[in-house]
Amino acid sequence: MMRENPADLLPELLVLGAAVMGLLAGSFLPRARQWIVGLLCAIGLAGGLVAAAFAARRTDLMTFDAFMLDPVTHVTRVVVLAATLLVIVLAMSPMRGHRRESEFYVLILLAALGTIALGATSDLLVLVAAYLLASIPGYALAGFGKDAPGTEAALKYFLMGAFLGILMLTGVTLLYGLGRGTSYEMLRAELGTAPDGAVTVGVVLLLAGLLFKAGAVPAHFWVPDVTEGAPPVVAAFVTTVPKIGAFAALYRFAAEALPPGAGDWPPLIAIIATATMTLGNLAAFAQDNVRRLLAYSTVSQAGYLLVPIAVAGRTDLAEPALLFYLAAYAVTNVGAFAVVIAVGRDDLAAYGALVRRSRLLAISLVICLLGLVGTPPAAVFVGKLLMFGAALDGRYAWLAVVAAVNSVASVFYYLRWIVPAFTGDAEQGRGLDRVAQWTACLAAAGSLALGVGSGVALTIG
Amino acid sequence: MSLLGWLLPAVPVVTGVLLVSGRFVLGRGLDRFAPAIAVGASSVALGLAVAAAVARPAVRFPLFDGLPAGLAVDGLSAALVLTVTSVGLAVLVFAAGEFSPDESRARFFGLMLVFTGAMLVTVTATDLAVLLMGWEVMGAMSYALIGFWWREPRRVGSAGISFVTTRAGDLGLYFAAGAAMIGTGSLSLDGLAGADGHWRDLVAAGVVLAALGKSAQVPFSFWLSRAMDGPSPVSALLHSATMVAAGAYLLLRLEPLLAATGWAASLVAWLGALTALLLGAVALAQRDLKQLLAASTCAQIGFMVLGAGAGTVGGGTAHLVAHAAVKSLLFLGAGAWLTALGTKDLGELHGAARRYRTVGAAFGVGMLALAGVPPLSLWATKDTVLAAALERSPLLYGVGLAAALLSAGYAARALIAVSRPIDAATRVDTEESGTRHVGPLEKLPLPALALGSAAGGVFALPVVDEAWRNLLGTSHDPGPGLVELALSGVLALLVLAGTWALVRRGGRARTAWTAPALHWLHLERLAGLLIARPVFALASALARFDDRVVDGGVRATAAAGRGAAGLAGRRIEIRVDGLVNAVGRGARGLAGLARRPQTGQAHTYYAQAAVLFAVLIVVVLLVG
Repeated sequence: MMRENPADLLPELLVLGAAVMGLLAGSFLPRARQWIVGLLCAIGLAGGLVAAAFAARRTDLMTFDAFMLDPVTHVTRVVVLAATLLVIVLAMSPMRGHRRESEFYVLILLAALGTIALGATSDLLVLVAAYLLASIPGYALAGFGKDAPGTEAALKYFLMGAFLGILMLTGVTLLYGLGRGTSYEMLRAELGTAPDGAVTVGVVLLLAGLLFKAGAVPAHFWVPDVTEGAPPVVAAFVTTVPKIGAFAALYRFAAEALPPGAGDWPPLIAIIATATMTLGNLAAFAQDNVRRLLAYSTVSQAGYLLVPIAVAGRTDLAEPALLFYLAAYAVTNVGAFAVVIAVGRDDLAAYGALVRRSRLLAISLVICLLGLVGTPPAAVFVGKLLMFGAALDGRYAWLAVVAAVNSVASVFYYLRWIVPAFTGDAEQGRGLDRVAQWTACLAAAGSLALGVGSGVALTIG
Repeated sequence: MSLLGWLLPAVPVVTGVLLVSGRFVLGRGLDRFAPAIAVGASSVALGLAVAAAVARPAVRFPLFDGLPAGLAVDGLSAALVLTVTSVGLAVLVFAAGEFSPDESRARFFGLMLVFTGAMLVTVTATDLAVLLMGWEVMGAMSYALIGFWWREPRRVGSAGISFVTTRAGDLGLYFAAGAAMIGTGSLSLDGLAGADGHWRDLVAAGVVLAALGKSAQVPFSFWLSRAMDGPSPVSALLHSATMVAAGAYLLLRLEPLLAATGWAASLVAWLGALTALLLGAVALAQRDLKQLLAASTCAQIGFMVLGAGAGTVGGGTAHLVAHAAVKSLLFLGAGAWLTALGTKDLGELHGAARRYRTVGAAFGVGMLALAGVPPLSLWATKDTVLAAALERSPLLYGVGLAAALLSAGYAARALIAVSRPIDAATRVDTEESGTRHVGPLEKLPLPALALGSAAGGVFALPVVDEAWRNLLGTSHDPGPGLVELALSGVLALLVLAGTWALVRRGGRARTAWTAPALHWLHLERLAGLLIARPVFALASALARFDDRVVDGGVRATAAAGRGAAGLAGRRIEIRVDGLVNAVGRGARGLAGLARRPQTGQAHTYYAQAAVLFAVLIVVVLLVG
């Protein structure tokens, strides 16, 4: 008996409703009062959060034959909605009075909606649709500034997305042929008997699209260019939110669609993870542009996040490790971008003696950056700890060692940013963005709270 | 009901702690109000004690896992808490008059209150753990109070000796607690007598050791002599209702345990009697009033210990209560004279009783009571103890009676010294410069205590005696017979008269005979020789061992490490350093390479992504 209760999708419907109403309202509101759309969207997100929190208490089930309601979906919903809410708050002051202010909020909401669907679906066709919904608003957002770097970024983003999306569609077609269906249940039953090589090719091609969303090697090329060229708020969004859905989808595909041993999944993902974290870290070493630095940092984080994916199904630790790491990463990464938005400059020199301009902002920067390294008691530390545990438990000790070496190496470039903020010479810049400053503090506090309260968070999850 | 049980010790302890800590926070300003606060708290404690004696509160609380602990006031505890709080109040009132405002009064009164509160915990505890807590805090407070004038090294040294000596005895109580845990499975005081086999003997041994140490019985007596270096109110409290009384109380409380083992009761009885005799002789030989009183304390506590050993809890407790009143009175009197005249030398105190008549009269009553003159208190209570001793063995009775006569002797000496007229040879201010003044607050508690000392004689009446036994719940032992009461009373009077006559004629004992007694039987030197010196020798031997062998080993390791480090630095470090630099250079080079693919051109991205995915497929197919 198929379950088709629209109330199961209440969080998504709330977000969708907010987006549609925002679009309609935005068409009629004068430019000075477009902020109402932002408020509307924020309310929609908050309502979605509440609904998601309530939904998380129910037992696991599948609805509409393609939408799973399980811990992975619940965490994806909550983290995506919370991170999007933070981004909306961050956008309030830079977007204030913008010509297309309401469109900005609506696009953000639609991309978030696509991201949730990406993480929650258990059918390849819905996956493709969700991929498109999550990507296309992103292309528009990247070029939102209508300036040269933004346009270039948007174009590169779109071209990469289109190309890798086609590869993904090819992979889906191949898997459909091999598995006689697109639902994960079907695939799991059928792929075991299919030719191994063909399954591997199909899986790698499917990965192209998901790795594009995750920003992992070899689909990472857009990340630095978009992060640098797009407006900072958009950069914060596209390096944080789509990743969440992509990793949830990767995990779900590994755990639910692939029969054990099919498609050479663990070595494949382990190789990609190694390449991603290493390349991201090495490329970040000599960056003087903080947005590019953060971009490469998010690439390396994607590498760490792939570790639990590689051992999915081989250890019980994989799921909590991935979900907790995702939540920790989202809040910390948004916090770091909030500092960039608050200062409003991209070159490292602009952060000299930040502590003298705002002690709170400098401390937030330290918490977020050291948090990304994985320093206790910040949340990513717990995430990394679980990730290492999952790797060891899943008999991928060498991957844990690679991740540990990479974590140590990453301290270098984060410190290149932190140290001048406390010792360097003050450069008289423009004033700090108040809202972004408080968002940064909030995110830093959230990162600490999540880290200290990790025990509670993990038992709920 | 249980609130009362908590409040009784809590009021003095909390007030005391607040006074001591407030002194640090608020500074000298608190010193002005400290006496009033302390006397107030002490009065409240007395009120609570009266209420507790009537209401008999009991508190039970879990202290350790599965071990019930508690505070309760039964008949024996009721007698003790009343004694402790009333003597404590009297002493604090006296101290409020004696201590000049420029002294650190908040500290003094705070410590005194905690001292009293700890004694209240000790006498109301129903198990060994809580008792030990009070016991230990009391010991620590005695250290702080004896060494109150800490700028003088001798006083601090005395405090140290007192503390270390009593502390050595205290170890017995820990030992007893451990044995009780094994023997009875609990720490409850009531259950100790029922411990299995040898554990009962071990418990008894530990308890006896701790009690003898605290009560300054032979061979621990010397610490009480050194404790005289504290302020007079401290002596008055420490010698009467707290500290030394705690040891006697413990033995009286655990009399069933002593009786159950048999040997412990005899040992305690004989040690008590011997202490009474020997320290009585010591007191007789003293030339210093406070030293005389200290030795007499040991001797009188000896009677209580004898009572516990002989099985008369009623007699021992009565003696304890009566002695508390007498001895606090005497110490306060001696303290008042010391402050006023600057001396406590018996030879220089001539005429003291005539110059300060209130003090003199009260002191006289106290001394007569101490001498055992009928119908005063100690006459009656001592004979109750001696009657029980007579039941056990005539020899024990004989020793006790001799000790009682000695007490009449030293009481007479002190009495004559202070009451004979002042003469040309009398000097004042031999120890400190006196104030020539005894203030009203100092006089205030003396008549009350004198009344208590005298009225205690009612214990000789059979009616009172029986009521007292009913209160304590020990109805089986017999009271003193009329013959014994009369005999001891007459003998005490005879000794008093004899001593009087002897001193009047200027009789003097030969110094060679009195020397051991004068120096407290050389107990302190013996303890130093037999215990302290071997311990020190062992400690210094171990220190030498530590310096030469253990430390030498550590140093050799360090030297070897340094040598190895030097070697490694010369031969290997260049390579390690080179390796680190190479890693750095390599990382830098790789970082440069890592940014190469990021050309910024979309067509190269396409090519790279396509090639990489192809390579990925090939690699995975080959690996898998």
